[in-house]
Amino acid sequence: MTFGRLVSRGIILALLAVVLLGGPALAADAPKRGGVLRVGNLGEPPALDAHWTTASITETLTNHLYEGLYSLDASNRPIPMLAEGHTVSRDGLTYTFKLRQGVKFHNGKEMTSEDVVASLARWGKQSIYGKALFAQVVEWKAVDKYTAEMKLKEKSAIVLISLAVPNNFGAIYPKEIAEKFPPEIKVTEYVGTGPFKLAEWKPDQYIRMVRFDDYKARNEKPNGYGGGKTAHLDEIRWIPVPEVATRVAQVETGELEFADDLNLDAYDRLTKNPNVRPLVSKPYYWLVAVFNKKEGLMTNQKLRQAWQAALDIEPIMKNVAGGKAEFYRMDSSLAPVEITAWHTKLAGLPWNERNRDKARRLLQEAGYKKEPIRFMTTQEYKWMYDFALLTKQQLEDAGFTIDLQVVDWATLVKRRNNSKEYDVFTTGMGAFYDPTHHIYLTASWPGWTTDEDILRLQAELARETDPKKRMTLWEQQTRQFYEKVPVIRYGDLFGLRGIRNTVKGFNEKTERIRFYNVWLEQ
Amino acid sequence: MSEAPRRSWSRRLLSNRNVVAGLLILTVVVAAALAADLVSTHDPRRLDPPSRLSPPSAAHYLGTDEFGRDVWSLVIHGSRVSLAVGLTTMLLTSLGGILIGLVAGYYRRLDLPLMRVMDGLMAFPAILLAIALMAARGPGVWNVIFALSVVYTPRTALLIRSTVLSIRETDYVQAARALGRRDLGVAVRHILPNCVGPLLVQGSFIFAYAILAEAILGFLGVGVPPYVPSWGNVIASGKNVIREAFWVSLFPGVALTLSGLSLNLLGDGLRDTLDPRLRVP
Amino acid sequence: MTAYLVRRILALVPVLAVVVTVVFLLIHLIPGDPVSVMLGPDATPAQIQATRQALGLDRPLPEQLLKFYARMLRGDLGQSYFLDRPVTTALLERAEPTLVLTVSALLVAVVIGVPSGIVAAARPGSLWDRFLMLSALLGVCVPGFWLSLNFIYLFAVRLGWLPAAGYASLLVDPLAALRYMVLPAVSLGFSQSALIARISRSCMLEALQQDYIRTARAKGLSQGTVTWIHAFRNALVPVVTVIGITTAILIGGAVVTEIVFNIPGLGRLIISAVFRRDYPVVQGVILVTATAYVLINLVVDVLYVFIDPRIRYE
Repeated sequence: MTFGRLVSRGIILALLAVVLLGGPALAADAPKRGGVLRVGNLGEPPALDAHWTTASITETLTNHLYEGLYSLDASNRPIPMLAEGHTVSRDGLTYTFKLRQGVKFHNGKEMTSEDVVASLARWGKQSIYGKALFAQVVEWKAVDKYTAEMKLKEKSAIVLISLAVPNNFGAIYPKEIAEKFPPEIKVTEYVGTGPFKLAEWKPDQYIRMVRFDDYKARNEKPNGYGGGKTAHLDEIRWIPVPEVATRVAQVETGELEFADDLNLDAYDRLTKNPNVRPLVSKPYYWLVAVFNKKEGLMTNQKLRQAWQAALDIEPIMKNVAGGKAEFYRMDSSLAPVEITAWHTKLAGLPWNERNRDKARRLLQEAGYKKEPIRFMTTQEYKWMYDFALLTKQQLEDAGFTIDLQVVDWATLVKRRNNSKEYDVFTTGMGAFYDPTHHIYLTASWPGWTTDEDILRLQAELARETDPKKRMTLWEQQTRQFYEKVPVIRYGDLFGLRGIRNTVKGFNEKTERIRFYNVWLEQ
Repeated sequence: MSEAPRRSWSRRLLSNRNVVAGLLILTVVVAAALAADLVSTHDPRRLDPPSRLSPPSAAHYLGTDEFGRDVWSLVIHGSRVSLAVGLTTMLLTSLGGILIGLVAGYYRRLDLPLMRVMDGLMAFPAILLAIALMAARGPGVWNVIFALSVVYTPRTALLIRSTVLSIRETDYVQAARALGRRDLGVAVRHILPNCVGPLLVQGSFIFAYAILAEAILGFLGVGVPPYVPSWGNVIASGKNVIREAFWVSLFPGVALTLSGLSLNLLGDGLRDTLDPRLRVP
Repeated sequence: MTAYLVRRILALVPVLAVVVTVVFLLIHLIPGDPVSVMLGPDATPAQIQATRQALGLDRPLPEQLLKFYARMLRGDLGQSYFLDRPVTTALLERAEPTLVLTVSALLVAVVIGVPSGIVAAARPGSLWDRFLMLSALLGVCVPGFWLSLNFIYLFAVRLGWLPAAGYASLLVDPLAALRYMVLPAVSLGFSQSALIARISRSCMLEALQQDYIRTARAKGLSQGTVTWIHAFRNALVPVVTVIGITTAILIGGAVVTEIVFNIPGLGRLIISAVFRRDYPVVQGVILVTATAYVLINLVVDVLYVFIDPRIRYE
């Protein structure tokens, strides 16, 4: 055997070795098709109609079944989803949307502009974001089979972003379904274009979604909530487990592959478990106490300012976060850090002043005579109850009298619409991708912010299209917020999720969970 | 039987081991409830975030919960809610039972319809009824008391009724009626004293069950508001951190068991002493 | 005996009528207007009035009550607001888990309780007797839900022997169903087993005192035969009663067990319905459980007749 032959043989053997040994290692990163992913969540969705409600559970579930014209990329900017693209007229008043072709609904029908027009018209009548956008829309119609046109009253900054937000979103339904169900009535037929379709819904037991074989994916790589989506899994099974302790236990023992909305105290336990991994989601919610500014004690601005002055936010956040610094963040910006476009770093804001003297002075100026302030909260979102209880103690030490009313979430949501029934209520805000989406700065959302300056700035923000000018307006709005105190902003709370090691491909960066592009390592 | 001298009664009672044991434990619980402020080391409602989830120590005998509240003080003060609910339920069911049982036993024409109504009311599982009331009226301790009273008054009524029936035909009652004594007078002087025994026995078990029911409903979140110290509320708050801080759910559970134990022992002992015939349903 | 049975069944009618009336009253205890609660805050006055008329809530109370009876007799329990299906369907979907849980807990209670009671009665005063009766006493006093929490922590999370929560249908996967049922059935059945143990013991003791037992012993029959065959039959009567009562208690206790173990039964249904203000479902669950109790009592009474020949005539 010549030396040359030896070398070439050696090289071949070496290559073989690399392929044989390295192959499986490489293949381990390749997605596997098949399997059932069991996800434990907080409870039943009030509806599977994306247009109908802002509930987080509905948002998560419907984003697997339906798609909108646009979606959000990894930087929270709108990117096309069902739309191919769009053009805007010179005067900025006409938006022409070109749709992708050959996109199928779950019932086999092809998506056309008729479906898009009907769906978004319905969305425009019911959804918070839809109503805000369509308030500016003069005409919305189909031009040809794959083109739709929107004519506006005045220039708007919020067209694409409104069509892209995942919450309460402009899901595209078949025209027949969009027209069959009036906007106030939830749809009960679930047909969309998403990578999964609804197989079975047994309330309080499970919701089963199976792979939609005729899903037409976009060609790009996955990007944030958008881009290419592949359903590797055969089935996602969403299981409502209202008891958080049970959810944690079940992901630990393997009865669930994924558990959402866990209590932060479980972090250490999940870290120690060799089969499970804790995921910290940022942001999760930022906590607010919303004042009733229509009638009652808190119509008095000085009283609201006193509340803001008295609070020492950090110990509250720390306790809500299970005592761990990694689970909360102190920030006065109205848009969290992750919403890079709108995050502000302003100095001199009266946030977290922890100034009892100032609070007492303001209480006196307000003429407060220790009347009980009705503070409504719920235990169903544990962190709401936690920060309410801690707030109560701090405020009472500062001279307030707080009547804490603990009700169930359904009652809270109902009561907060009635200005006679409360003075303050707790809630958490998710991420708003645009300044005009901050619902607590509107006159129609519970709490009823009617301050002239705030409303004027919101209207300007909707009209102004230049990003730099919008940021200036937004900073002005932030200062107004802290002076007029429509709600109290606490800190940012992070969330805890549990994921088993067999689950691969999960995007940990998005705010809410998605299971397309995810596969199971068997 | 009501003519028997009282002396031997109390002596018999106190010589029964169960009665003594039960009374002893119950006294401790009641004393803790009455002297709650003295026996507690902290204000049970005071939140102290820096010391959250601390294990038992000299500073906090039974540790702290997720808000830093002292578990010892919570358990001591929690006894107040439990005892209040238990006592109120017991009194209401006794009063209601006496009223209905007397009427049913005395007036034959009302007996049958009343008994059917009693049968109907007894059919409701007390816990479910309390939960259903919560849907209508919102959470609160009166749901518990009301639901339990509705379901347990019939049992007491049956007991009273059977005592009435058995005594009604005795000679001295017949004589009293023949003499023209009013029904109420006869009832109070001759019948009620005989009911005291069974009432106490029944009452002990109802008391025990009411305490447990209050804890169950508190645990489910449909009882007293969650920031009011009660055993059910504390167990509920501890269930999410049972791995990290087992003491939060543990000690109120022990307190519950002990209270139940004392009342069951008392009930057993009273039954053995006062009327061995009552032993089997 | 037939006369007794007939009378017993006829007696059901007024009892069930009372049950239905109480269930009817439940919804009318709501302060304020049930219809606006039902339709939500965005309902217009016109919608509220229309719904009120459609539901017949604008008619006088007695008329509503009669209509309610009529509906109950037809088996029409109304429509669930939240679940978008008839209440009857929702109840049927959830009945199986609760039934399985109740029966399993009952089995646990009987299998632990009856032998314990008999063994204790066989050697009264012995160490065995004392130990069993002390355990039974504790068992009665320990809260079931607290036991559930500790069981989950010990057996599921720490030891990993059993699943922490969940449910599988017996018809679909019997082995998994069994595994999921162990902890819930034991924590629910344990406190009832205590009661059954104590009752069994006292009944056995009484039965053992009977004359004919003494005679049998005098005749020289072995201890074992005497204890187990003759006395047992007599002890059966009160034990059957207790089983009846136990079932009723279990139906109520199942609620908490279902919550803690995430079992999709009637207990979880009523809790969710309460929080969602789904009144028809709440009424439906209460009605079904109360009726079940009444029927179980009927069955127990009938069994009595067969087991105890002394009760032939009232």
